[in-house]
Order: sequence, then C-alpha cells, then structure tokens
Amino acid sequence: MSLWSRLRRTFRPEQHSREIEEELAYHLAMKEQDAAGARAARVRFGNRTKLREETRAQDVLMWLESLTRDVRYGLRQIGRNRGLSAVVILSLALGIGANSAIFSIVDAALLKPLPVKDPQTLRAIWWKNHGWPDPLCTMMNGDSEGDFNTAMRGSSVSVRAYHELAKEPGGFTAIVGAGDPGKVSVTSGRRPAERFSLQYVSANFFRELGVEPRLGRSFRDSEDRSGAAPVVVISDRFWRGYFGGRTDVLGQVLRVNNVPVEVIGVAPEHFFGVQVGEWVDLYAPLSAQVLLDPRDRLNADLGEKDTYWWVRLIGRLAPGMSEAQAVGMLSARFQHAVAPAGIRVDQKKVPKLFSLPGARGFAAFGGDDGRALWVLLLLVGLVLLIVCANVANLLLSRAVARQRESAVCLALGAARFRLLRQYLIESMLLAFAGGALGLLLSRVLADGVHSFIRANLGIGGFDLHTDWRILLFTMLVSVLTALLFGSAPALQLMRASINDVLKAGSRTVLSGRLRLPRMLVAIEVALGFVVLAGAGLLTRSLVNLEHVDIGFDRQNLIYVSIDPWAAGYQSGQVKQYVERLRAQVAELPGVRRVAIIQSRPFSGSMNMTTVNAPGLPFARDQEHSALLNMVSDGLFETMGIPLIAGTTFKPADLKPDSGAVIVDEQFAKHFFPGRNPIGQRFGESGPALDPKFRIVGVVKNNRYNSLRESARPTFYQPLSVGMNPGAQINLVLRTGLPESKIAPEIYRAAAQVDRAVPVTEIKTQNALIDHLLLMERLLSILSAAFGALALLLCAIGLAGLLAYTVARRTNEIGVRMALGASARQVIGFVVRQCFGLVVLGVVIGVPGAFLLGRALRNSLFGLTAADPVSLGLSLAALLVCAGLAAWLPSLRAARIDPMSALREE
Amino acid sequence: MPKTDNLQGSLEILILKVLRRGPNNGYAIATSIEQASDDVLEVEEGSLYPALHRLTEKGLLEAEWKMSESGRRARFYKLTAKGRKRLETEEARWHSIHAAVAKVLRTV
Repeated sequence: MSLWSRLRRTFRPEQHSREIEEELAYHLAMKEQDAAGARAARVRFGNRTKLREETRAQDVLMWLESLTRDVRYGLRQIGRNRGLSAVVILSLALGIGANSAIFSIVDAALLKPLPVKDPQTLRAIWWKNHGWPDPLCTMMNGDSEGDFNTAMRGSSVSVRAYHELAKEPGGFTAIVGAGDPGKVSVTSGRRPAERFSLQYVSANFFRELGVEPRLGRSFRDSEDRSGAAPVVVISDRFWRGYFGGRTDVLGQVLRVNNVPVEVIGVAPEHFFGVQVGEWVDLYAPLSAQVLLDPRDRLNADLGEKDTYWWVRLIGRLAPGMSEAQAVGMLSARFQHAVAPAGIRVDQKKVPKLFSLPGARGFAAFGGDDGRALWVLLLLVGLVLLIVCANVANLLLSRAVARQRESAVCLALGAARFRLLRQYLIESMLLAFAGGALGLLLSRVLADGVHSFIRANLGIGGFDLHTDWRILLFTMLVSVLTALLFGSAPALQLMRASINDVLKAGSRTVLSGRLRLPRMLVAIEVALGFVVLAGAGLLTRSLVNLEHVDIGFDRQNLIYVSIDPWAAGYQSGQVKQYVERLRAQVAELPGVRRVAIIQSRPFSGSMNMTTVNAPGLPFARDQEHSALLNMVSDGLFETMGIPLIAGTTFKPADLKPDSGAVIVDEQFAKHFFPGRNPIGQRFGESGPALDPKFRIVGVVKNNRYNSLRESARPTFYQPLSVGMNPGAQINLVLRTGLPESKIAPEIYRAAAQVDRAVPVTEIKTQNALIDHLLLMERLLSILSAAFGALALLLCAIGLAGLLAYTVARRTNEIGVRMALGASARQVIGFVVRQCFGLVVLGVVIGVPGAFLLGRALRNSLFGLTAADPVSLGLSLAALLVCAGLAAWLPSLRAARIDPMSALREE
Repeated sequence: MPKTDNLQGSLEILILKVLRRGPNNGYAIATSIEQASDDVLEVEEGSLYPALHRLTEKGLLEAEWKMSESGRRARFYKLTAKGRKRLETEEARWHSIHAAVAKVLRTV
C-alpha cells in the first residue's frame, strides 16, 4: 500500500471505517443465513465496532507496537551490561552537561529575548547627529558611539524630551523610558547600609512592557511627577534576599541614599529589567532621580535639566505599522521636543531618531565578551565530540560481541533496517539518560561559572533558570550525540557479512586491523589537540597581557577614592578637605608617598581631547587626539614614572591658567617631531590656534586603559582640586604594606578628617588591571578545564583501545615471545602503536588548530594563531598522556606467558 | 531475502493457499479453511480480517468490491504475483519446519 493511501487512511478514517463496516456486515449476514443460526453467529462475532476499530488500527498499531518492543529490548540490553552503560551515561552526562551549561550562559547573555510580553515588537530608539548635539546636550549618560567630530549615535534623551515623545507616541503603542541602573546605598531600621542596583523608569514601564508585579502594583502616572513622594518596585531577587520573601513587604519603608522610599510592589520572578547582564534590584520613577541621586542635591535639579540626557527610549511598535514610518513620525516630534525652553536651535543641528531591535533590550554584554562566550561554546562542543568518539568505541566493542546475534537475526529474515533502528533506539535511550543527568550537572556548572562572572565582572548577573530553551537545546544535543556515537556500531553492523560471522569460529569478528576503532581514537586525539591548542593560545595570551610593561611600577600602588560632594561640600571646602586628608594619610605607617590624580590608569575612564600644535595642519581625527589627565604635584614620583627632560610641576605651575603641562615621550615625538619639546606651546580642540599650553617636562610613556593597545600620546595638566564639581577624587598611595593592612588605617584617617565624607573605593593598581583581564581569565580557566577533560578522555580512549588490542592479540604476542621476542620488544610494539595513533591524530588536528586560532584572533595577544609554543605544548601534553595510556596495556602484554597463551588456542 | 519482521501465524499461509484457487470474500475464505480442515481449525473473525488487511498492506493481496453469489456487495480478495511467490516460499518453509519438528518428535 502506498504511503499516501496509508496517510489518507490514518487521517481520514471515515471512508475506511465504512468499508470495513460493510465488509463485516456482509460476513455477519452470510453467517445468519447459515443453519447455525443468527444468535450463535452474533455471539461468536462479538462486538462489531470493536472489531472494526481493531482492523483499522492494524497498520498504525503494528508500527507503534514494534517501536515499544524495540524500546523494551533496548532497555534490557542497557540493563544487561550495567558497567558499560554506566560509563557511557556518565561520560555523556559530562559532555552534554558542560555544553548545556555554557549554552545557558550564552543564551542568557546573547540570545534570549527580554522576559516581557511580545519582545519582538520592541524597538530601542536612539538618536544620530553630526558630532555632539551642542548646545542641546551638555551631559550624557547611557551609550554613545562615534566621535565628537563625526557621525555620533546616542541612546538617551532628556526627561522632558521623553515625556513629550511618550505623550503622543505616533506609530508606537507606547514609549517607555529608563535610565541606566546605578548603585545606591540601602538601609532600613538598624541594618547597616548595603549597595544595590537601582533603575529610574517611566511610570508606564511595567504596564507597557506587560510585566505584572507578583505582589502589589506598579507605578501610577502621578508618581512620576516632580514633587511626588518616592516609591519603589523591588525585584523578586531583592524581595527574597533582603526581605526574606515576607508577604507584608508592601508599605515597608527603605532608606535609599538616606531618603525614605515606600515599597509598592514586587516584580515577577526572573524579571531582571531591560538590560541583559544587569540585574536591577529597585525600580523608582524617573522623577525620583532628583530626590535620590546624591550628586543632585548639590546640582539641584540635574535630573530634570533639558541638557542632561540620560533617559533611554523603548517603543512598542503598533500592529501593522512600518518601523520606518513610526520612527519618522517620532523624529519629527523630537525636533520640537528637544530644544530647551528659550533656546532657538538650527533645525539641521537637531539629532534625528532611528531605531534598533529591542527584543533583547539594551545589551550591557556584547562585543568581545560575547565573542569569548561563543569561543567557549565551540571548545565545549569539541569536547562533546571527543565524548562521542569514546562512547562510540565502547559501544562498538559491545556491538562486536553482539554481532553473532545480529547475524542470526538477519539470517532468520530480519530486515537490516529493523536492526539499525534497534541500535539507534538503544543509542537514543543512552543519550537521553546522559542528557537528563547532564541537565542536572549543567545547573551546577552554570552556577559556578555564573558566580565567577558575577563576582568578578561586577555585573548583576544573568537569568539562568532552566526554561524550555535550555531543555530544547539539551534534547537536541542528546539526539545529535546519539546519532553520532550510534552510527559507528550501526555502520559496523551494516558492513557485517552474515556468512563470515556465522562461519567464523571466534566469538568476536571485527575486521582484523580494528580500522574503525583506530580511526575513532585518532579523531579523538585530533579534537583533543585542537582543544588543547585553543587553551594554550588563550592562556599564553593571558600571561602575555599580565606581563605587559605599563610604564610604571604597579606593585604596592593603592588608590583611595573619596566623594566630598556627597557630604554637601562646596568647591573651596573640597580643596581644603583633600589637602587635610592627604596630609593625614601621608602620616600613616607604611605610606611612602601620596599624590592626587583625576583618572586612575586602567580604571576605564579617561579624558580625550584634540591637540592643535603649531606647524601641524589641524584636523579633528585620531591623529590629532591625545589623552589628558590632571595630576597633583608629586604624582610622577609616587607612581614611579621617570622624568626624561625638563622639570615636574613647581608650585607656581599649580595655579589655574599657568598653562604649564607635562607631556610623555610619545606626545613629544608625535606633535613636535625632531624638536626639543621643552618650552613648546600648543592648544586644544579648535582650528583657531590658541597655544595656551607650555611644555615644562617630558615623562616616560605609560598605558592608560588598555593592555592590548600601545600607549597613546598623553599630556598632564596640574590638578586644581575642586574645580570639577561632582567629580570623584582619587589619592594615589605608594606603600610598603599590603592593601589589607593599610585600608583600615585609611578609613580611620578619613573618619578623623570628616566622618560625613564617604570613602567610595579603595583599590590597588593590580586589582584595576585584573578587572580588565577578567574575561581573558575566565576564558583561560575554562578552556584549560576543557583541555584537561579532553586529555583525560583521550587517555581513556587510547588505553581502552590498546587494552583491547593486547587482549585480542594475546596469541600472536605469545608466539612472538616463544620465538624469542623480549619483553622490551613487546612493550615497544604496544607503545609504537600508541604513539602512531597520537601522531596521526595530531596531523589531522593541526589544520583544525589553525582554524581555531584564527577564530580566536581577537582574544589573542602577543602571539599568532599558529603559535609554535602553544602547539608544541599541546603535542607534548598528548604524548605524555599517550605514554600513561600505554603503560598498563604494555605491561600486560609483557607479562603474557607464552605457554598459557598458546595453550588457549 | 523477503523483508518480514517476524513470522505471522499460519493463518496467513492458509489464506494465501485458499486464494490460490481464485478470488474470494472473507466469509468464504473462513468457511473454506474450516471445511478443508474438517472443522479442526476454527477461523476467528477477530483474526481473519486484521490478517486480510495486513496482507493487503504488504501487497500480497488485492481487494475490490464485487457482487457475491448471494447478490450482496462483498469485498473480494485476490492473490497478487508477489503473494503467489510468497505462498511458495512459505509453503516450502512450512514443510521443512514441519518435517524437522516431526523428526525431533520421533527421535528424541
């Protein structure tokens, strides 16, 4: 019967049933005619409907029945060989679990849409402009791309612009506004202050995103007006952590930055906000920024200023509306909305809006970090392939043992297809068992990696709970794995010739030279080589980065950051305070020198400006830009940056507008090539030359924010403390004691000067640099772990194969020994075979290692993709592991007693 | 080699054998088998029709609706070429198994 008619019959059963009904009716009628009598006939015939159904179900049932039979048979086979099955399931659990763990992190960090309603209809709305949108914006918070002088893109607008746009969202059903999450201090009752992440959001945030609070309510429009009493919605995580999940949390009062706020709701479980990687603990209305942000008590109403752009926009596209149209409508309104009252702006200079996909919100995690995660997924995938090869070999040995059984089945008329299906079903059962166990394992692994990322990257964390995406991935990987490792025994089976198997006397008939198992082990070694080479490249890059010459002595250098502005100081008071604190700290035991610096090297923040040097045609580009830092007297001595020419700052230079600057060698060489830089003048940021700076000294180059990029031209201005309201102030300490000994003393000294001024951070230079290297460190640790796992698997694979070879060739070895072969020769025979396989595997693996190296090239530092040291080390590791793997089998071979070996024959 | 999963009961051979004489309907097949075996074999309708459908499924039989002797519409089954061939091999096999079993019963 054709497949078509079978399908039609399965899905359109009425006609088929009618025919059967008629056929049975005929049968019954004939029977009734017979002398035996109608009654007897009906009794014997039984239930007509049931019979009809049974007849119809025959083809569907037959298929299902044979499937369940195969599954039961498969389970029996797995149960019969418990040891082997346990090893197989455990290795699969390890391989699949590691994959599913890394996938869950990749998924949460890079793929998964936001936990909101219809994330696909969300758009992030940005603006673009030629250059900085002067004079509309004086301060910006959020993401921005591009240069002051080129096409610029920014993520945020002013609060007023947000409200104007949200009032008439045009082609969007709604527009939601949100600032960037920031840290706040939270206290309640007698609890000491703790730091949590808070995000200011528009009143419609929860409502329009379709996020229903699990307790209480979300914001009312009236709560996002200036003057409204501040309220917060807390995250589920904060609710459980801070309040222990108490149900009477609503109406509780927290002090946020020392301002009382009322808790009105709890966000649903797994809702982390709209920025992947940041886990927001508290949500407050946009208008609360003015009340809660300590900076703003000084700067009055910064959060409401039209020139402070800090609110990101998310729009939900109305159904049937084209994106271009919706954004166009909004952009037109933005032109009116954005101008501060009383300022007339050239319409050409008003930024235009455009939209980006918003389903994943505002990614806080991307670029290089994202690539690093993909690399991990690739490496862990290779490890799984090794697991597959190993499992395939294990199953192959069992398949060989079962070859006779299969041959008998074939001889009795079983279809090869059925046997194949039987094998695949067994493989699937094993893979699903491994996958289920792996899923449990993956939770543990993912939590471990996740807490490393959280603790060290300083991010709020990802949502890693086991959802259908992770389940689906694990299942797909399990199926794929089963097809991979199941195909080897199946292949063996398909090739088996019934006659050979049945005729041969020996119990196991695998083609004499073990071609398939040897090939699998060679592939294992090749994959292991690739993983090891990757781990080597990443680890050596990390070591190279750690040993970059940064231009000064990074040991025993401590930065103390203070924020006198938070205590309500004015500019003049700040200067006095800092001088007093500096004097106090200098007196502490173990402190050798103290200075003040505006931007700490490797802290991630730095000023950049364009330089206008005489004799050099001006342009606003990278060529003319330089880094600018403000430093106090004694800074170069404290940091250990050597002076090369001229002098450091003298007291006269420290006056504002003295124009004295110190440049580094690179600056001198770049802007004043071939001239003595001392006494030269230059200006900044403008085509009109105003040479207000005068070079008084030249210092050695040092690096600022990146270990990867070479040092950039830098110049230093004398720091006038207090001239930059709100800016954090950093003391630099050169000490003779470790940070742990000094830190308590510093807190005590700061408290002595003024208890109200918070010490916001104490960090060593090494800690700042380590923070930059966290992703590299994570990559290095995990890739090394995968490398070790790969090595272990290769060793198991090799040892297993060799042991099997020795066992199979006991006779042959016995004959050789009887004919005079020494134990050394026998060992040599096994070891040669082992190293032959390793060499073969490495030869196959080399192109793979090159390819991986190329894929990794953005993560590499100070070496090429074909780094001979990494490749050499990987080879060495494999050879050592091969030596160990050959140890036991070769000893066993050497201990074979020729007499008993021959007698066995 | 014929592709069959397992050996179905002997009912299938008997059906094939009866149909060798020419197309017939289910009821007639059942009575033929019963009569030929002197009522030793009793054909259960619950086995007969599923077996007929199974054989049709495998392409050993063809079925069509025709008028029976009694003047009612009945479904007639006919042996296909494949079915004929199958009957021969199955018959041969049956005989050899039968002989083997008989021999074992005699000698052991």
